[in-house]
Amino acid sequence: MDTKRVISVTIIFIAIFSGMPGLNAQMPAIHQAAPVALKGGTVVTVSGETIRGGTVVFENGVITTVGVNAEIPAGAEIVDITGKYVFPAMIHARSSLGLSEISRVAETVDLSEHGSINPNVRAQVAYHAESDHIPVARTHGIAIAVATPTGGIVSGLSAAMLTDGWNWEEMVYRAPVAMIINWPNMANARVRDNTLEELSEAFNAARRYKQAIEAAGERGVPHHNRDVRWEAMIPVLKGEVPVHINANEIRQIQSAINWAEKENVRMVLVGGRDAGYVLPQLKEKNIPVIVTPVIGGPSRQWEEYDRSYTLPRMLYDAGIKYCIAGDFAPAYAMRLAHHPSSAVAFGLPLEEAVKTVTLYPAKILGFEDSMGSVEVGKDASLIITDGNILELSTVIEQVYIKGRKVEMDDRHRRQYERYMERYNRMVDQE
Amino acid sequence: MKRLVYFFIAFLMFNANNAGGQTLPAEGLRDNTPFVYAITNATIVISPGNIIENGTLVVRNGVIEDVGSGIQTPADAWIHDLEGRTIYPGFIDLWAEIGFPDPDEAGRRQLRALNIPAEYAEIAAQFLIPPSEQPASSGAVHWNPQVRSWFDASSAYTYDEDRVKRYRAGGFVLANAVPPAGIFRGRSAVVSLGEDDNTRLVVKPDVAQVVSFERSRGLGGRYPTSLMGVISLIRQTFYDTQWYESAHSAYTAGGRGLERPELNLALGSLIPAGSGMQPVIFDTGDEIGFMRAMAIAGEMSFDLWARGSGYEYRRLEVIRDAGVPVILPLNFPDTPDIESPESAMNVSLEDLRHWDLAPENPGMLSNAGVRIAITGSGLGNNKSFLEQLRVAVERGLDQDAALDALTLTPANLLGLEQHYGSLERGKVASFVVADGNIFERSVKVEEVWIDGKPYEVAATGKTDLRGRWQAELDGIGQIEIEISGTETRLRGKLKKDDKSADLHRVRTDNQRVTIGFRGDSIGVDGIVRLSAAVAEKELFGIGEMPDGEFFNWKATRLSDHEESRNEESRNEESRRPALMSELRMLYPSMEYGFEALPEMPDNVVVRNATIWTQGPLGRLENADMLVRHGRIVEVGRGLDVPRGAVIIDATGKHVTPGLVDPHLHSSIRGGVNEVGNNMTPETRIIDVIEPDNIWVYRLLAGGMTTANLLHGSANPVGGQDAVVKMRWGALPGELLLEGAKPGLKLALGENVVRNTNQYPNTRMGAEQIIRDAFQAAKDYVAKQERWERERTGIPPRKDLQLEAMAEVLRGERIIHAHAYRQDEMQMLMRLADDMGFRIATFEHTVEGYKIADILRDHGAGAIIWTDWSSFKVEAADGILYNARILLGQEVLTALHSDNTQLSTRMNWEAGKMLATGIDEITAMDLITINPAKMIGVDEMVGSLEPGKHADFVIWSGHPLSGFTHAEQTWVDGRRYFDREQDMLMREEVRRERAALIQKASAAASDSQGSGGQTAGRTAGTN
Repeated sequence: MDTKRVISVTIIFIAIFSGMPGLNAQMPAIHQAAPVALKGGTVVTVSGETIRGGTVVFENGVITTVGVNAEIPAGAEIVDITGKYVFPAMIHARSSLGLSEISRVAETVDLSEHGSINPNVRAQVAYHAESDHIPVARTHGIAIAVATPTGGIVSGLSAAMLTDGWNWEEMVYRAPVAMIINWPNMANARVRDNTLEELSEAFNAARRYKQAIEAAGERGVPHHNRDVRWEAMIPVLKGEVPVHINANEIRQIQSAINWAEKENVRMVLVGGRDAGYVLPQLKEKNIPVIVTPVIGGPSRQWEEYDRSYTLPRMLYDAGIKYCIAGDFAPAYAMRLAHHPSSAVAFGLPLEEAVKTVTLYPAKILGFEDSMGSVEVGKDASLIITDGNILELSTVIEQVYIKGRKVEMDDRHRRQYERYMERYNRMVDQE
Repeated sequence: MKRLVYFFIAFLMFNANNAGGQTLPAEGLRDNTPFVYAITNATIVISPGNIIENGTLVVRNGVIEDVGSGIQTPADAWIHDLEGRTIYPGFIDLWAEIGFPDPDEAGRRQLRALNIPAEYAEIAAQFLIPPSEQPASSGAVHWNPQVRSWFDASSAYTYDEDRVKRYRAGGFVLANAVPPAGIFRGRSAVVSLGEDDNTRLVVKPDVAQVVSFERSRGLGGRYPTSLMGVISLIRQTFYDTQWYESAHSAYTAGGRGLERPELNLALGSLIPAGSGMQPVIFDTGDEIGFMRAMAIAGEMSFDLWARGSGYEYRRLEVIRDAGVPVILPLNFPDTPDIESPESAMNVSLEDLRHWDLAPENPGMLSNAGVRIAITGSGLGNNKSFLEQLRVAVERGLDQDAALDALTLTPANLLGLEQHYGSLERGKVASFVVADGNIFERSVKVEEVWIDGKPYEVAATGKTDLRGRWQAELDGIGQIEIEISGTETRLRGKLKKDDKSADLHRVRTDNQRVTIGFRGDSIGVDGIVRLSAAVAEKELFGIGEMPDGEFFNWKATRLSDHEESRNEESRNEESRRPALMSELRMLYPSMEYGFEALPEMPDNVVVRNATIWTQGPLGRLENADMLVRHGRIVEVGRGLDVPRGAVIIDATGKHVTPGLVDPHLHSSIRGGVNEVGNNMTPETRIIDVIEPDNIWVYRLLAGGMTTANLLHGSANPVGGQDAVVKMRWGALPGELLLEGAKPGLKLALGENVVRNTNQYPNTRMGAEQIIRDAFQAAKDYVAKQERWERERTGIPPRKDLQLEAMAEVLRGERIIHAHAYRQDEMQMLMRLADDMGFRIATFEHTVEGYKIADILRDHGAGAIIWTDWSSFKVEAADGILYNARILLGQEVLTALHSDNTQLSTRMNWEAGKMLATGIDEITAMDLITINPAKMIGVDEMVGSLEPGKHADFVIWSGHPLSGFTHAEQTWVDGRRYFDREQDMLMREEVRRERAALIQKASAAASDSQGSGGQTAGRTAGTN
């Protein structure tokens, strides 16, 4: 980086702000009416080669062309992106975005339902479309965040939510994404056994319920009342919805894997702090890992200081399917790119690292066909930047979500504008 | 011989009524039983190294009348032949936890019963150990219930048979009984461990003041909650003692018209200790606590005795040079839980090292010339003192030194060497009889004599039922019963003809034995039950058949339990490998510790780097930096390389100043907040710096070299800060950056109003309490100045709270004020204006961007996060552009971490600022020179300029890139972190852990079956 770059950052910065609408606007984006062609930039497709001097065309929210000499349809809005980069928008695989506003104020937090077995609660219905944090995530290049309930043993069903829209129904991208399970602390035998027993009982009850409901109409089968909890678990039992299991310590991870196999459910390991110690098992059992988060210290005094930063590299070297989720707090969803970035500082190849917040979460979350890379047929959820999306200094100039050009406005920028106005007036008065 | 002892015991019991003091009037008949003994044919250890073979010891009325070989036995003496036995002077314990109820005991027992992991014990204690409802004391005592210096052990000592017996079993005859509770626990008393009237048992009152760093919850009182609060209370109390003495003498001399000073027994009782006339025993806790006690003793000039911790070896030189007597417990840790690989993973190298090295602590201290006295305290309930003592001897403690540490040294320290400590003529006849060398395993202490009277200590006549018995069951027939198992858990087998079956049950309470077995073997259905009176050779009992029919039975012993003796001695031998530790000493003694301080080369040249000077030279490409003796000499292109210089080729690399974090709460022991009061300016972080914290090393690995360690934000007026450098391996005091501007923490907003039980509850009140405190400091200064001028009346009291506030008013101490919202910052700046000082920095300054011009005009710096917001209401307006706006309005701005892990990656934090439009050099300023200015260390660190400390970081690439890591971190011209070195150290950590886990595995498997313990949990993870 040199002086030129600093100037260019500043210019871009000014450009962003000068284009900002008035206070309190922050409107959801307008549906893509005409085709758009992003022309002449570096297109980081992620799934394939990076294309220099490339063009991306999208229509009705879907990418129609990607290439160097792409044909631009008549009537298309042409955006000159010479010297700039196009990346696929990022996916945050585990967040409290939309479910929490200010963590210390309980009334603003909808994360953890009463009781310990809550397979039926659905994150999307509590996704607060007006949350101040959603536009922040959006301007930082996140098109989708998986709103994830917490607490208890079975926390509920997570939902992949768009970061743009008027209300939650518009913003649901995929729901349910997964049923969330929290593995107990294995060091305390009593807690461990009680929790695992409760979990097994829930699955057992759900299976009996499923069998009874499926037997409806057969001879001698009376009417069975509905049970909302077990009803919600049927897709999990059928393997249609995976379980995301929060487990960090070796004993938790190994126990969870055995359990999932026994219960015959699709498991994704979430957290996985000690995953580096059980790589062969993860590989053999083909368990995907959502690493969350990467930035952090070691959990044991003797461990290497960079242990946490090197976990993605270990998973990559071992050929394990994984992706990276960032901070859980809603205000810090915007830091998502910093996590793979820190893994790069400790040996993860940069191109690989970009995938961990784009293509890989799309794969693990089950919408690889529409998200995660710049490919024809996928959603036009794209980011225009002045540098690599993972670099700290990179400025995101424009975000498109399903082809919609979103306002690059958020709480941070609004307050910046407001108080710059104060200082500008002081100059005027002098 | 045994019978003789029984006789004595019975005799004593018979006379118990008459065992009163010399002033006690006779009740009933007078007791004139003679107490004259001649102990003959024994090996007598008069004192360490002075041994008489085949000697005689004459005891008359509790005193050694004569001792030697071939001496005349007085005709009136009762002869006690101890052939084959060895007699030692009785042991003296300088820290005995006996004689007083412990107010926390019930709660502790409850905690133990719940088996709460160590890391949660402190939290659990808050709930389980309630403050006592009764006021702990009445009368003119201290306002703080933890200050019990008035407590006099000699007036409260109660004979506790069970505990005293345990001490006797360890060979102890005399004990310095320490009061159980409080920070100032009171005055100890030396007591004899015999059984007698209290007036005879208390040998010497008022021996020492006893002080602990830990409060007793059971005593109640809000303050202090933190270690720094405890230390402040200790210091203030000693200062108050000085004042108390002078105030009372002024009042006595000054006559009428003076305000009467308070009467305070706690302070009055401390006068002898405060003036160095009486020792103060400090319970140190660990080797750093030892140094804390030394610092307080140095400041207050008292005579320090340290109650050791077992960790002294980790800083042997410091402990030796302190010249302080150490009362040493033999509290060697249990074998860590390394049963499975994953449980071993949760044990730190620090704990493994301590397990391996702790048994050598006594030997190392003794060999280094430290004056040690060994205490029997601190062992927990399951360990025998003598076993631990033998471990210490096997692991390097010289036998004579051990005996000295148990006899002469404590006798001398107590000033009782005239009467105790050796078996010379004329001394008190308190001694130990063992069946061999007491420092060798399997040797038993048979008797302990105290004040000329014998006490039996070996297990009292327990009958070992184990062995083979021939039983005759009336009307049923003969069976053979074999009883085995351990003494506490018996097992057994039954044999009839060629059939054999396990016994269903064998139990004994040493009076009756009960046995149950299945009737199959004798042809009946159900359980046959037997019981009998316990005896050595023959058992006579009754039995009940399954059908309810009673019968009599009798059994005769065929043989003793064959294995018992063998098994016991084998286990005894194998319990702990007597292998001396092969570990190198590391500083700190843990993972990634150094064998020695990294060397400081005369000259270091970093060549061909991009050097970010953060000074007038700006950023230089392809530049060199010359460092000499820890200071920067020159930065520029093509510098001459001095002969012999260490050359670092940094081509393609970047070099920046060592990073500076102006706000961190790491490496602080015993609480970051003192929450026992809303005003705690007396608390000092310098008192509680914890250098042996792995994060010091991890911070270095992230390029962090200097940090301001701050008190937390629970109180409107918090505590005094400490600016440290990350000198990994150094002592607490050595971490301090000399010349830093002392600071005081203030706090505003949500945190300080949260506790609705105390003032303030609003931001309005927060202003008033701070204003009130500064006004009080002004009045305080005025009063002191008047005293200095006039020197009449009662001298003013030194108030550590107001001293700190007064330093702020004088400009000697700067204010770091925790604040989020603009309103409270404005308020505080106006308050400071009124009081005549300046707010040096606001901390967090979340809404700083809203009043940047006002901050600038006041001269307040802004210490901020890059992107923290919305975790509480007052943080809702945190924005990424805070720094950009502040810098635009020319406010001195810096980034802080407030979080240890974040502090290891401040270069990335600064990197984030680039995306908000801040230029690179300015972004780097935010984590180097700017924070250095704000904590008053910019003359020394924060930039790479000639004359400054050679604190610098070599980065793998652009230091503000997210893809960059630190490769080397230098402090004071010493290479403290080097990634290549780190890779080697990882191997070393792995290798050392593996070796210790192997050793522990061997020890754990050896001790199985002998009841050897494995620790349930260790607090290994961090």
